[in-house]
Amino acid sequence: MDFLSGLFSFLYQTGDAFAFLVLSACGLAVIFGMMGIINLAHGEFILCGAYVTTSAVRMGLPLPIAILVGTLVAGLVGMLLERVIIRHLYARPLDSIVVTWGISMIVTQGTLIILGSTMPGTGTPFGSFTVAGYGYSVYRFVLMLAAVATLAVLWLIFTRTRFGILARATIQVPHIAEALGVNTSLIYSLTFGLGAALAGLCGGLYAPTMTLVPTMGSAFVVEAFVTVVVGGADIFLGTAPAAAILAVVKAGLTSWQGQLAGQIGLLVAVIVVIRILPRGLTGFILRERT
Amino acid sequence: MPRGNKTTSVLKLLEGPQTLGKGPGFWSGCAVVLALACAYPLFADGYDVGNNVYFFNWVFMALGLSLIWGYGGALSFGQTAFFGVAGYAYGVFTINLGDAYGLTLVSLVAAVGLSALFAGVLGYFLFFGRISGVFLGIVTLSVTLVLERFMSQTAGPEWAIGSARLNGFNGMGGMPSLTIPWFGADIALYPDVGLYYLTLALLVVVYLALRMLVNSRFGNVLVAIRENPQRAEMLGYDIRRYQLVAFVIGSALAGLSGVLYTAWGNYITPSSMGMSAAALPVVWVAVGGRSDLTTTLFGTLLVLAGFQYLTIYGSQYALVVMGFLLVVTILLAPSGIFISLGSFFSRGLRRRQARESI
Amino acid sequence: MAILETRKLDKWFGGLHVTDEVDFTLEQGEIHCLIGPNGAGKSTFFKLVLGEHSPSGGAILYDGKDITKAKSFERIRHGISVKFQVPGIFQALKVRQNLQIALQHHLQGASLNEETDRLLEFLKLKDAENQLAGSLSHGQKQWLEIGMAVALKPKLLLLDEPTAGMTPDETHATGEMVQALNAEGVSVLAVEHDMAFVRQIAQKVTVLHFGKVFAQGTINEIVADERVASIYLGEVHA
Repeated sequence: MDFLSGLFSFLYQTGDAFAFLVLSACGLAVIFGMMGIINLAHGEFILCGAYVTTSAVRMGLPLPIAILVGTLVAGLVGMLLERVIIRHLYARPLDSIVVTWGISMIVTQGTLIILGSTMPGTGTPFGSFTVAGYGYSVYRFVLMLAAVATLAVLWLIFTRTRFGILARATIQVPHIAEALGVNTSLIYSLTFGLGAALAGLCGGLYAPTMTLVPTMGSAFVVEAFVTVVVGGADIFLGTAPAAAILAVVKAGLTSWQGQLAGQIGLLVAVIVVIRILPRGLTGFILRERT
Repeated sequence: MPRGNKTTSVLKLLEGPQTLGKGPGFWSGCAVVLALACAYPLFADGYDVGNNVYFFNWVFMALGLSLIWGYGGALSFGQTAFFGVAGYAYGVFTINLGDAYGLTLVSLVAAVGLSALFAGVLGYFLFFGRISGVFLGIVTLSVTLVLERFMSQTAGPEWAIGSARLNGFNGMGGMPSLTIPWFGADIALYPDVGLYYLTLALLVVVYLALRMLVNSRFGNVLVAIRENPQRAEMLGYDIRRYQLVAFVIGSALAGLSGVLYTAWGNYITPSSMGMSAAALPVVWVAVGGRSDLTTTLFGTLLVLAGFQYLTIYGSQYALVVMGFLLVVTILLAPSGIFISLGSFFSRGLRRRQARESI
Repeated sequence: MAILETRKLDKWFGGLHVTDEVDFTLEQGEIHCLIGPNGAGKSTFFKLVLGEHSPSGGAILYDGKDITKAKSFERIRHGISVKFQVPGIFQALKVRQNLQIALQHHLQGASLNEETDRLLEFLKLKDAENQLAGSLSHGQKQWLEIGMAVALKPKLLLLDEPTAGMTPDETHATGEMVQALNAEGVSVLAVEHDMAFVRQIAQKVTVLHFGKVFAQGTINEIVADERVASIYLGEVHA
């Protein structure tokens, strides 16, 4: 019985870590995988999703609809940003990363100025249940399902929709896609928007579980960064398996030494791993497969 | 080779292909600026002079980032990690060792050494793992963010090294200022004229030494790697080593900034390694012009002065302006304001000459 | 005596056997051209020799030493030097500095400057020494890169389509440069498409096809070989 409850606890922790890693990283990974840009304002799109969701809930919308609103707003802001700023820097990918950092500073501090240092949350729904004396939150299971569902939807988008197929064509051979009449600039814009929307979704989903502060984005970015670094450029071959592996590492370290040890251990593990697999899991898997 | 000859060939490296500014005009300009900087305490209040040492403290980190990013082409977004490690290390060393017998100076060297060692270990994994530009940026940024979070939770009494309490989110204080041992009575360098001159002298030495470094063979290879790493490797250079050495030197300079800052204010907090703190060096260096030491030096001082002025209205406003400044610079003047303005005016001049000659 | 030798050199990309047990020998002082239809595995072989790919099997010997596991820069230090197909130069640096970065391995001070001047003359780039390398014409960029490769005083020079994008005159001048270097004792391995160039410089020709050595001989023997003609014709029809 003790062993079973221990196992359950570990699986719960792993699933929780997996959900967190997938949801916080997939927006970053979509933009990086398709456009080669690391969006340093990723945390601020999460912030945007969280704030909009919470405001919508307090205005009386049910949580699922509120999360959807948060996702859409973040996505639209992302598309706008791509049109106004990022678009001019495609020839200079490294500079476009620095620019997103400037945007991140503006948003974080702007939020602090306009909305103050904290926004009251809405509380976690669904309550909790107990197994062998330990409490577990039901909402955490919702988050795990949401992570799996997000991956499934992304899979459908990239393999079954016109946008997904054109997007993959654009990424692989931009000039040929252009020559075939694909509106590549629209594709880039939509891709950036999708990445931002996924960040917004992450913010919306986690908004009920945490205190909303203007710097909350940085609570997500480290995990998002390391998942993308280990995963490499492909969401399905890289990000998802990377999240799974890192989730085990993180859950193990967290239950052994606490939350912070989980995070530090994750980072150290990643730095050591890249010494061995410079092109991330994607590179490793592709090399094995081809 | 005769000794004198060697000295002149080393001095020749002060000018070269990797640095702007040469000839008597440039150096007399430098001499004038230096003379003004030296004369400043004569006309100002000691308290103000001490406060303004603050500006110099940061320039070392900026010059280090210029070396790593501007010259070496490696995006290191986490220089504040080395700033923080060295700052905390200085605190721990000096609180335990005290300020007699020149031990603060030993602590300075040890703290900078520790940050260099940390950079060496981290850099070994990154560069020998052949981490590409973008990933290098986000891994180094992650390192500084995790360090910030780690130091923030060290509030409890169990987090102490010897008699030095780390003190969590509120930061560590109470470490002694730099103190020079002297016959009779030691000279403690509180924020005042003495510290000003010491920091200024350090700055001049570091600036000139870096000029020589980037114009040396090492600097040649470093810019070659930035321009075309594959070609550089195929000329027989082990590019990983060169990038690692540049990273360690640049990070040690960030460490020096950290020590000077901590000794100056007798204080350091985890937020000095946070997201906003990490962004600021990037702003200074990008705005001034990262690919040259001189533009970085003056750009940093200029942006810092602007930032200081704006903090009157609150640091969040100042940070918003810094964000805008970064976005606008990258969009409109990617090589920095000085070089962009320079080429703008020289284009205008040439156009006018062309018109007049018609 | 062989300067470069590969023994059963093998490379798989997944299910694709791009280099199939290639036994290849390049004699000291020889100019050896590697030809073959598109997809024959020429550039993979080239990258294996350079150390940019690691082989799935077999060995690479340089001057009698096994360099199969050596890193690229170590191979360069042993005396191999390379010129890439797309000019690999330092675009934002001056022409003179490009050469000096290559020369500073073994020279310094006045002798560095003298040797730079000599090379600039040899490459017909004396007038352009203070231009940024990125502003040179395509042919001049190719020469500059040859200059950088030569600056290392290599014993073996690897050329990957050295005349790609050149005018016939430039191609001919390049051929003369290569022959001049060869006369000073440099062995040369060139991957090349341009048969006029191959005819001008090659002392020996190896034909690769589907990752295997298909034929080997002097240029005249190769041109007369009907099997070789047929694989090229096959490509034309395909």
